[in-house]
Amino acid sequence: MKSSTTLELKYHEKRKKNYNFSNNNIDNKKVKIKYNKKAESEFFVDNSALAGFTGERILYMAIRELIENSLDSCEANHILPEILIELKHIDQENDLWSISCTDNGVGIPSEKVPVAVCSFLTSGKYVEKQQRGLFGVGLKMIAAFSTKDTDTPIKIWSKDLEERVEYYHELRTDISTNKPIILEKNIVPDSDSIIKHNHGFKISTTLRARLSPITKNKINDYVTQSSIVNPYADITFENDDGKITFKRRTEKMPEPAKEVLPHPADMDLQTLKKAILNFRNQKTTIQGVLSNSFQKLSNEKAKEIINRTGIKNKPADLYVEQELIKIVNICKHTKFQSPNTDHLSPIGEQILTAGMMSEYTIVNNKEQNIGKNEGNGKNINLKILKPALTSYSSRSTVINNRPTIIECGIAYGGDISSFKLYRFANKIPLLYDEGSDVAREVVSEVNINKMGITKKDAKEQFAQGQNNLKSDRVAEVLPIHIFFHICSTKIPYKTAGKESIASEGDMKRYMKYCLSDLYRKVSAQIRKDLKIKEVENRLRLYKFYIPLISEAISDTLNINIEKLNQAFNYVAEKHVKKERMHEEQSMDTEENSNNIRKKILKERNKQNLILESNIHKKIHKEEKKEKNSKVSKTLRRKNFEKPTLFDFGIR
Amino acid sequence: MPPKNKKHKDIIKKIRLVMKTISDEVLIQKKIPELEIAKIGYDNTVWSEKKKMLTIGEKKVVVSPNSTKKIPTFAQYLVMANAVRKLLDEEMESTIRGMYYATLSSVGDDRNREKFWKGQEDSDDAIKAIELITGTPREEFSVTSKPKGMISGPITLSVGGDTIDCNLGSRATSQLIPTNTLDVEITDVKANFVMVVEKDTVLNNIRKSGFIQKYKAILMTGSGEPDRATRIMVKKLSEDWKLPVVVFADADPWGLGIALRYKIGSESLSYDSDRLVTPRVKVLGMMFSDIYEYNIPEVARLSASQEDINRANDMKKKPWLQESQWQKELDLFLKKKEKCELDAFFKHGFKYLAEVYLPRKLQEAGVI
Repeated sequence: MKSSTTLELKYHEKRKKNYNFSNNNIDNKKVKIKYNKKAESEFFVDNSALAGFTGERILYMAIRELIENSLDSCEANHILPEILIELKHIDQENDLWSISCTDNGVGIPSEKVPVAVCSFLTSGKYVEKQQRGLFGVGLKMIAAFSTKDTDTPIKIWSKDLEERVEYYHELRTDISTNKPIILEKNIVPDSDSIIKHNHGFKISTTLRARLSPITKNKINDYVTQSSIVNPYADITFENDDGKITFKRRTEKMPEPAKEVLPHPADMDLQTLKKAILNFRNQKTTIQGVLSNSFQKLSNEKAKEIINRTGIKNKPADLYVEQELIKIVNICKHTKFQSPNTDHLSPIGEQILTAGMMSEYTIVNNKEQNIGKNEGNGKNINLKILKPALTSYSSRSTVINNRPTIIECGIAYGGDISSFKLYRFANKIPLLYDEGSDVAREVVSEVNINKMGITKKDAKEQFAQGQNNLKSDRVAEVLPIHIFFHICSTKIPYKTAGKESIASEGDMKRYMKYCLSDLYRKVSAQIRKDLKIKEVENRLRLYKFYIPLISEAISDTLNINIEKLNQAFNYVAEKHVKKERMHEEQSMDTEENSNNIRKKILKERNKQNLILESNIHKKIHKEEKKEKNSKVSKTLRRKNFEKPTLFDFGIR
Repeated sequence: MPPKNKKHKDIIKKIRLVMKTISDEVLIQKKIPELEIAKIGYDNTVWSEKKKMLTIGEKKVVVSPNSTKKIPTFAQYLVMANAVRKLLDEEMESTIRGMYYATLSSVGDDRNREKFWKGQEDSDDAIKAIELITGTPREEFSVTSKPKGMISGPITLSVGGDTIDCNLGSRATSQLIPTNTLDVEITDVKANFVMVVEKDTVLNNIRKSGFIQKYKAILMTGSGEPDRATRIMVKKLSEDWKLPVVVFADADPWGLGIALRYKIGSESLSYDSDRLVTPRVKVLGMMFSDIYEYNIPEVARLSASQEDINRANDMKKKPWLQESQWQKELDLFLKKKEKCELDAFFKHGFKYLAEVYLPRKLQEAGVI
């Protein structure tokens, strides 16, 4: 009621104001709009959802940000990551959680620590290369939330790669000014050292948050999936349920991303101005600025562009905006070589395979042996899933003017018993909004017949009891895990929460290519398994139904049921075996013909210029040759046999 | 205790023979057994010009546990055959639902447990298969369905020795037609003709009007799709008691289809047409032309659906509807795209159907 009356009042005031205005009267009650600058920190705390820090997800986001920072910090210098994350519920009544993260990364120089932790939009990552974090918000969000909700300082231990000295800081964020408050700063003597390596970083802080079982699982998923795409990292996660370590499975690390210059197709007035600003004091010409600030833009190309604008070449800072716009427009309509991908850091076949071959899953002991609680909080454990086979495929393309690499992996069979889709963007696992992600569409749109099996087969053999399965979800009955990794400096996220990827440009098409590749690669294995599965199902059915049949017959005819059962089982087994042999034979010939087809295709690719008929002739000849050689072999053998027979005769 | 009924003995013998063949195939020839059964369905239904009815064709299906799909089917048929044999041994009778329950079980182990029957349709199919394997209608092995058809009029039945007089005088009720047809005997008929209508609502209206008493008629209905007992009753009255039989159904392709069930049979029961079909039945109405002849007001007409149109187009090609009268009727329907229920005559008054329309139609046909 109150608010509505004030609204009404305001409305009247406004009307009055208008009225007064038209009458040229001065009104004392005139509302004055104040223009204030809001500190970045205040803005982000007020709009925490922008960075994904919403009620339920606070702890999830905090863990996510800390792991990502640590991994980035290690990878920047090609250090094999070793990360320890702890999450402990320290005050049940007030929902207080202690959260800490220790890594062996490059650390942060001691003077930069306070701003790096507390001041929003301060980051060492504002460069054109692929990194997990980009905005300089995550860590600051944790600091701001801790300051906002608790009275405990944020504790930082940092040993910078170059300084080699461990500093200890106690910090809080001044939210109204976006500045750090330094409560304590000192050098940690070696005897009290927290950071065991020559370099590293540790943050320990308190957050007020609720943790639902769903979010708890998401945190577990997040850590697990991080270990899949970072098998070269050693990640230990300790919470109230116990401590688990995702061990390092490979020493190989992806090539670190290199910083690159922006591509001219992506140029706008702002980037151009910024580039010019960098050369302000050197009296460089616009031509020099262009060729030094953008990739794929040689001195000559820059000259050509300037010539086309018709503006005289003069020191860059003398250009007016109108002229600069002209340059930008020309660049937009000029063809450049496609951007290079040095600034991207895909996972790579070897590393992703290492991750897929040893997929960790968290097992909750609680459910399995209630009462057997050993008292040391060891309620969780790790289990490794070993698939029967894995495969990898990748494509690179340009989406939104940014080079984008799509990587796709598949793990099939073995310990894997059901379908799962994993999505990663710049090595970050995406856990929410799977339904609206482009990967989801890709999985339902790529037909599983690429695996050489029909939807009907898949349903019958793998989906027991799921009769009302939608046909576009058939892939989900198969025991496969599908992995998609998109890397780009500008991932087309669907929402600000960065949890699902939209299909932009050719993204979907290329993802489909990748998945089709993989389906083809696993097809031989899956078909073999399907056959075995079919036989198993058949034998199972016989096992279930033969007793019923025998009972019906023996009941009517009064004959021995055991004897009939035995005979029936024997006949059934014989039948299955015979059928299987037959199928294997036909499969072999099928494979042979496939090989011949592949040969033909290869030949065609090699010698595009030769007429098709020629190729056919050649293949015919080859086949004939093969035949001839076979014939001669058998002839030889016969010749060889004859004397032995002859020998026999003599004896 | 062996059954006394000779027919029952024969059926048991047939079932034993089938079982013996299968057990010999398994025990002696050591091969996967096979059951050959006549195929049921539209693609094995043949129009017999001589008999003027739908009959079953020559096609056979082989049911053998040689493929994943057919293992359960094969087991189902044998389990059902054994159950029928037991039923006859014990001289009991059962409905098809009873047979479903008697053979109900689950198969598999703890991990994969499934029902032996997915539903009653499965067990009904198995009963049909036993009919085909033994060449005997289900009534003869005492398996029946719930009664559905109704009868009213000067006719007396004896059911297992009990007398049922269907001429109830009160005009208030009809008798259900018993489904254990083997036990049913018609002992006395004092009627001039038999009139079959599609629905029980229409039958009630006609009975209430005193039609039975006035014209000495037997009224029957199959309440929609007629069951076997109703069809058999119609055949008996027509062929054993030499009564003219007329059928009235709604003026739409569906109604015409139901009327034709009595006259030419149906695809799903074509294997048993000889016992179920009465070619001498006359389908008198309701004709599509009656809609306009008897001035059914537009509000009481219904517009035809695409399915109706397709059905009518289909019917036009059938050999049993080639007479010019039927072709004209179907053309009229396809042109006007309107259909009508018998109940629509109530728009002209509650007695109009029984006192005006039906007598006039029967007179035209020379039945009264």
